[in-house]
Amino acid sequence: MDLFRKSHLKNKLKTNINQSIENSSSNISKNIAENEKFLKNMFQNCSDIIFREITIHGETKLLLIYVDGMINTDIIITNILKPLMYDGMPQGLGTIDSIVQMCGQELFSVLQTKKLSKLGDIAEHILKGNLAILADGEDTALLSNVSKFKTRAVEEPYNEASIRGPKEGFTELLRTNTTMLRRILTTPKLKIESLKIGKLLQTDVVIAYIEGIVSMSVLNEVRKRINRIQIEGILESGYIEESIEETHLSPFPQMNVTERPDVVAAGLLRGKVAVISNGSPCALVIPVTFWEGLQAPDDYYERFMFVSLIRWVRYIFVFFSVLFPSVYIALTNYHIELIPLKLMMTIATLRERDPFPTMIEVFMMEFVFEGLREAGIRLPKQIGPLVSIVGALVIGEAAVRAGLISAPIVIVVAAAGISSFIIPRYRFGYPLRMLRFPLLMLSGTFGLFGLAIGMIAILIHLIHLSPFGTPYLTPVTPQITRRLKDVLMRWPRKRAIHNEPNNEVDQP
Amino acid sequence: MKRAGKLCLVFLLIVLSTTGCWNLREPDQLAFALGTALDLTKDGLVEASVQIAIPSGVGGGQDSGGGMNKKSFRVISANGKNAYDTIPILQAQLSRNLFFGHRKVILIGQHMAEHGIGNLLDEFVRNPQSELRSRIYVVKDGQGKDVLSVEPIFEPFTSTSLVSEQTSLNLKHYYFHDFLTVTLSQGMQPMLPAVSLTALKQIVYTGSAILNKDDGLKLAGFLNIKESSYANWITGRQTGFAITSFVTQGDGNVSLKLQSLGRRIRVKRVNERILIDVQLIGKGNIVENNTNLDPTKLKDLYIIQDELSQTTQKSIQQLIEKVQKRYKTDIFGFGESVHQQYPQQWKTLKRTWNDTFSKLHVSVKVELQCKDPGETNSSIMSMP
Repeated sequence: MDLFRKSHLKNKLKTNINQSIENSSSNISKNIAENEKFLKNMFQNCSDIIFREITIHGETKLLLIYVDGMINTDIIITNILKPLMYDGMPQGLGTIDSIVQMCGQELFSVLQTKKLSKLGDIAEHILKGNLAILADGEDTALLSNVSKFKTRAVEEPYNEASIRGPKEGFTELLRTNTTMLRRILTTPKLKIESLKIGKLLQTDVVIAYIEGIVSMSVLNEVRKRINRIQIEGILESGYIEESIEETHLSPFPQMNVTERPDVVAAGLLRGKVAVISNGSPCALVIPVTFWEGLQAPDDYYERFMFVSLIRWVRYIFVFFSVLFPSVYIALTNYHIELIPLKLMMTIATLRERDPFPTMIEVFMMEFVFEGLREAGIRLPKQIGPLVSIVGALVIGEAAVRAGLISAPIVIVVAAAGISSFIIPRYRFGYPLRMLRFPLLMLSGTFGLFGLAIGMIAILIHLIHLSPFGTPYLTPVTPQITRRLKDVLMRWPRKRAIHNEPNNEVDQP
Repeated sequence: MKRAGKLCLVFLLIVLSTTGCWNLREPDQLAFALGTALDLTKDGLVEASVQIAIPSGVGGGQDSGGGMNKKSFRVISANGKNAYDTIPILQAQLSRNLFFGHRKVILIGQHMAEHGIGNLLDEFVRNPQSELRSRIYVVKDGQGKDVLSVEPIFEPFTSTSLVSEQTSLNLKHYYFHDFLTVTLSQGMQPMLPAVSLTALKQIVYTGSAILNKDDGLKLAGFLNIKESSYANWITGRQTGFAITSFVTQGDGNVSLKLQSLGRRIRVKRVNERILIDVQLIGKGNIVENNTNLDPTKLKDLYIIQDELSQTTQKSIQQLIEKVQKRYKTDIFGFGESVHQQYPQQWKTLKRTWNDTFSKLHVSVKVELQCKDPGETNSSIMSMP
């Protein structure tokens, strides 16, 4: 029943949309009352849409339509109402046949204006914060951009902190974001193509790239896939990501998501394509490789020696975080000979009182760890630290003291968990944390053989994966020796002392 | 993607079906055997003793509770017809499975060694559960079982302390597989490190035991510590040792700590006779000087070097003669050198090598070099 009602509602909605689309493509008429009636019908039950009628000298009627709260009222008063109401018409009435033209050219020439005649377009512009001015006897409407509404200020993106480098992050407003990008990349070659996605919402989405540097095959593929998106509307760039990604069946992210304009700019300079959608501070940078997922923004801002060291620390911790629990299980349960005697004795001593098999212990602890992590994210900031205290003390300390869990397990799980947080792009830690579980299963059933098979399967998958035609493991495989130096270490830029020409693009 | 998934599944099935390797063993289901001792009973049976670690007695964690007074190991024994025959009897005494993967030492009692251990080796090689990286020792004047039962000074187990003892003696590790290599080679006889028990139940290193592999690996005799270090120098097992010797010209003793030992064995054939030329080079520092010579002066240093080399050379010559005449076993591996340099002649020589060895003409040349005269110049006593 419920289901039926839902589908019924959907159908109704669809027919409504279809109707309004049919009507909205029609032009406005010369009769202002007719237009008002039509628009009022369209914005029925929309209490935030203001219709304001203005009578000048008791003769010509003007109709102002806008969304309450999205308009800068100061500008309306000083630049629109005042000249119209008090100053009067410049040359007297009747001599000018188009009041709209007059307003646009003479009265409000300081404002950004646009003339539209389709009702649908007018409605759309009103909803985006424009002021619509309709005049009696005119078949065009004047739309002026006097929007002003509250948005979040440009802040430091605290999900992608960096020690050195620009501190500003994207906001929810598309225009602000493109401005930030344009401010960094001050070149006419930066192209920002505008699109509208969504049958209902028509969300503004831009595709940004640098002409001449961008890989045309990737750009065309992105355009093609975005145009194919069939969706009601887009609330977050995640909708686009999911709709255009190569395959859903991969734990590895296929595009980079960033809140930092400098990261997007760096990506564009490397020939990537950025997709930014209105309402979301997260921009997509397409495509991404495995190695770029392990890089931090300030890798390229700090001096190269330290960064190269830190990169290797990251690589090692990536392996550590995926493999440590499963290697521990495989060694203690199958390949006891491989553990040095003293260590084995310590482990055996600590295991003496344990009621559960190692496998179950590790699974339990992994599960609890993931739960604690999730709880820590979702809780309000004031309660956040409490979770870590309860987690560390109750789960770690008390469980070991009570003899429910052996101490090495706590160390193994905590070390592997913490090391998955070392990855600077947070979401690249997701596959590592997910893959730990199947690997645990394999190593718990087949020992190191199982682990090897699991690793081979992951490798096969990684080699197979090539989002937007770029193999995921480039430049390691397929090997591109020239670019390899940026993976093995962070290659320094050429020093300017030697006056050597430097044509290479060496950006993050 | 799909194909990869299918492939993985196939691999898993293959592993599952062909190996059947569900051999999950939790550490708390195992009894870790850290050392094995093989002795001979009066009835001629093999008595195998195993040192079992008791994890709760080791006290690795803070929460070992009331187990503080527990011993860290226990030794259990069983008699049997051969080595493996004892294992079911040993297992019957334990509630956990015996695990030999961490066996650190194999001890052979003197009686067992005199009886010959040739028959016992097979199990250690054939049984896949055996650990070939165990160190092997012969127990002089005693039983291996007694050595295993000793409470060591530093470590919780005798077995591990015997392992570290080899390092502290500047010996290269003598693994069971080294012993096998020597035993299976053609021109070399095994020489195993030997330990014994003092009256105060302490383990002391006493040198080496010589086994004769042509006689069922029976014990041929022992070498003392000094002789062992010389013999090990020739075979390349020693990494360093100290020499203290009387220097007549300086009227006192000089101690030289050798830290770099080199050797070269050359085989010459003169009129069908084989001559062995052993050249030994040792480099080290002077650590004690009781003479009135000043090692910082080149002339005095040469005197010390020459005299030390002479006396050492004499001792080594005596050792080689002793081994040739008394034991008639080629522990130095001269036969191996002949084998390598004259492979054609070796075919005929190898049959009677033990006799040939005892009559072999061996010339020894020792060259000791003092790299560092020490922190002071002449002896403190002789200073003005």
